[in-house]
Amino acid sequence: MDKDLLRQTLSYHGQSLFAHLKCEQSENPDFKAIEPDLSKASYQRNDGGEDKALVEQFIARKADILFAQSWKSNAPVEYVLEDEAEEPYAIMPPLEQFMEVSFEERRNLLYRDMERGDIVIGRINSIRDFGFFVTLICMGGGLERDIEDLELTALCPLRDVPSNGNHDDPLSYYQMNDLIRAGVKDIDRYHEKITISLQPSSLATNLVSQKLGVLSKDDLPLHYSRSLRVANDNTETYERVLEGTLGYSNPLNVEYLLGKIGISDTQPPSLMRGLQSKHFLEEDFATTIRKKQSASWALKCVRIGVDHFKSGRYVEAMNEYNKALEIDTNNVEALVARGALYANKGSLLKAITDFELALESCPTHRNAKKYLCQTLVERGGQLEEEEKLVTAEGFYRKALALDDSFPDAKEALRKIELLIQKSLKLREEMAAREAEKAKNVETSAEKLRKILKEEKRMKRKRKRSSSSSTSSSSSSDRSSSSHRKSKKKKRKHRRSSRGGKRQQRVSSRGNWSAADDEEEWYPAPPNTSASFLDPKSSRYRSFDVPNRTEEHSQHYSKHRSQTHSQHSLPSVSTNAPDNRGRFEDDPFDISPLRAECSKGKGICDKTGDGEVNGREMEASRGRKKSQECHFGPQEIPRSSEKDKNSRTSSTSSEHSSKSSRNDLPSQSRISTYRRSDSGRYGITERDKEEENRGIRRSDGGDNRSSPYTSRNGKSSAGGSQKKELPSNLLDLFSQIAQFEKEKCKPQK
Amino acid sequence: MDSFVTPGSMEAISSVYLTSAGKRDGDTETDTSREMKTHFRVCRFIMETGVKLGMRSVPVATACVLYHRFFQCVSVSLYEPYLVAMSCIYLAGKVEEQHLRTRDIINVCHRYFHHSSDPLSCDSEFWDLRDSVVQCELLVLRQLNFHVSFQHPHKYLLHYLLSVKSLVNRHAWSRTPVAETSWALLRDCYHGTMCVRHAPQHIAIATLYLALHSYGVELPVGQREWWQVLCEDVTKEHIDAIISDLLHLYDMEAKWT
Repeated sequence: MDKDLLRQTLSYHGQSLFAHLKCEQSENPDFKAIEPDLSKASYQRNDGGEDKALVEQFIARKADILFAQSWKSNAPVEYVLEDEAEEPYAIMPPLEQFMEVSFEERRNLLYRDMERGDIVIGRINSIRDFGFFVTLICMGGGLERDIEDLELTALCPLRDVPSNGNHDDPLSYYQMNDLIRAGVKDIDRYHEKITISLQPSSLATNLVSQKLGVLSKDDLPLHYSRSLRVANDNTETYERVLEGTLGYSNPLNVEYLLGKIGISDTQPPSLMRGLQSKHFLEEDFATTIRKKQSASWALKCVRIGVDHFKSGRYVEAMNEYNKALEIDTNNVEALVARGALYANKGSLLKAITDFELALESCPTHRNAKKYLCQTLVERGGQLEEEEKLVTAEGFYRKALALDDSFPDAKEALRKIELLIQKSLKLREEMAAREAEKAKNVETSAEKLRKILKEEKRMKRKRKRSSSSSTSSSSSSDRSSSSHRKSKKKKRKHRRSSRGGKRQQRVSSRGNWSAADDEEEWYPAPPNTSASFLDPKSSRYRSFDVPNRTEEHSQHYSKHRSQTHSQHSLPSVSTNAPDNRGRFEDDPFDISPLRAECSKGKGICDKTGDGEVNGREMEASRGRKKSQECHFGPQEIPRSSEKDKNSRTSSTSSEHSSKSSRNDLPSQSRISTYRRSDSGRYGITERDKEEENRGIRRSDGGDNRSSPYTSRNGKSSAGGSQKKELPSNLLDLFSQIAQFEKEKCKPQK
Repeated sequence: MDSFVTPGSMEAISSVYLTSAGKRDGDTETDTSREMKTHFRVCRFIMETGVKLGMRSVPVATACVLYHRFFQCVSVSLYEPYLVAMSCIYLAGKVEEQHLRTRDIINVCHRYFHHSSDPLSCDSEFWDLRDSVVQCELLVLRQLNFHVSFQHPHKYLLHYLLSVKSLVNRHAWSRTPVAETSWALLRDCYHGTMCVRHAPQHIAIATLYLALHSYGVELPVGQREWWQVLCEDVTKEHIDAIISDLLHLYDMEAKWT
């Protein structure tokens, strides 16, 4: 109990109150503790009167609440200067003015209550060399008093006047009758002297934001301007002023003022015994009951849903689960049931999301954990088949992290670790071998280049005004440039290797085309959207098996068709012979990529690499065929396009059409690979895009393509073939060997 | 007009609650005092429900005023007072722009009568209760001629508090819980009909007066009293009358709960 407060009350009311208190609060231990202190003082005896007695009795009865320490709202509400223009509540003139408190009284009160750090507003009445004197007209910042007629003068000494930058006398800035807002620096109550300051440091902390210095009439506080109005007009009463303000009509003024004063409306104070906040239990509150109720309603729906599920009515079951989740979002049972339904249907990712959400709210849910483990392992299995070994491994690890004892997960994790190790080894070997072969093959490549150079010279004679892309570079360039080129390609690949995104490919493409300008036998079509510089594409290449041998592709197709109907490889495999021809260009395009891959960019790259090598083997075989292969595939893919609806076939046919034009087919291939891997989403759009591009390229009489095709048409088989060989001969023979290895690998 | 009287648990329980309480107090009670007891209890019910629903002070006050005004016109024996109270809460939420869901009102009220029970399931009992509340709301509106918007003492009290605060020393003010006490007194006065018998400004002044008086706060004296200044037409008698009504309510609590 607040002793000081009680003492104050007792001295106001007198002894009779004390008597009441003793009577009513006899059982209150807090009161008993301070009773001896209180009784020491003697309180005057009031002649109560009946009314007074009742009030005193009331006070005595409620004393344990009224004088409790916790009764006061402890948060000291800092004075916040409102934006007066908004007026969230009615700002009233000082009550003193209405009450017509006497001059003396007001002055005494002011000296009693004014403190250092308060804000005062006044008018300059004289300027001396040591400072200026101000007649106070009102207070700012919370203490609303009627002081104008008191004619108090305050001094602002020179040192408290801020200098205004240009070494003039700071006082020269101020003139007589200027309105000044200043902070109270010191009060001498005995001598009734007030010292003010214009330095912001003189202000109390909660008032620091106020600007000190010269004011205009508009800046005067609202309570003052209103009090002026009241002073001039006798008919203005408090009530009339109140009802005339904007803040009075604000419907939110009650809320605002409660906040300002510091009373809570959610745990409101009451003097009734039954309404004390301690009697309210959390579980009786509306929000708590609603939550419980929603959970039970949702559970009902889930039960019905599970019935449907067990009887095989999956659609109804899903509806019930969704209904349950609408009633109670994140209801654990509903999420687990829905997850199980998704997993059964095959939407593993959605199932995983649901299970994880359920486990977030209830980490110990047995079924959720179990199902999640199973689904993760299943998903891992899917990914493994898609050759995404790292991701699959991640899933297995996650499953094991959830449940250590899950046997399937352990098994799968072990297997996949072995696989990964193997593929890593494979890549290392390939890299080593390629490094060797690079040296061997160079000489033959140089020979080829010479032949190609001659051919080109012949062509140039025929077409002087031909396309810009065929720039004449010196023959000396060729030999070295091819070497440089492969290096550049490698560099570019490295730069762009990580990006599976088009933007990166675009930039690399840009680099590519810049470099290409040097080389004539390879005009890089600048507007290819897909870049084969993406090492990930090698992974994707594994899906589309057009360049595999029949048996290899068949093997793969069997493997794939089991898991991915989308990849309809059998159809693709029939294109294999065509593709072989198509891939005359590929080694050319692929090699830099391969070179990059061989640097061991990623595990997937390495697995893909094997396929790439295989393809190149095919390409080399194809090269040995006659020129007609070039055009042959062109016709066949067209028909195949019509026949086949599967995505892969269309992509492969796309690529066949593209490759026949010698646009960078690998680029499109890569994009298609990516497409097939990214799986079920958005493939059709990209397909169409690619097709359009392909069509555009095929249809458009590109300068690039036409001279090229015409060149193809004209040049000997050997010549064009040789063009495509260049630096890829490097890897050619290694590819053969690796391909053989690759063949063996999946069969294991 | 029995047509809307609720089927089901609520009516049964509450009538038992009322009649048994009546029997407890013996036959010496007159009808009026019994009625007053009922009204007191129902208003207590409204205030408790208001806290549990997170209602602000003004909507709770509106609900109580609606209830009192309704039963000034009709007899309490004709209508189920607790149902009327629920509808008044629902209507007050709409009037004072703090919209409450019938589901929440029913949940809290059901639990008030059945302690520690499970929440109602979404069955016919629930829908029947909801229908009753909504129908009763229309009844209340019609009974009050659709005059459901009232001036409450709350905003007056808060403005008066600010004005009076500027009269006293800031430290004295911060250690004296005048604001909390006056707010508590104001909220408590809705248990009885005094809230409809006196003007809002008068009630505000009376509660502030009592709060200041309880703590022995001395205000400066001028030509006019501070309470006279705040509201021109209030007299000391008014203030005393209101205070005595208010104190009577606290006695009622001691007697009837």
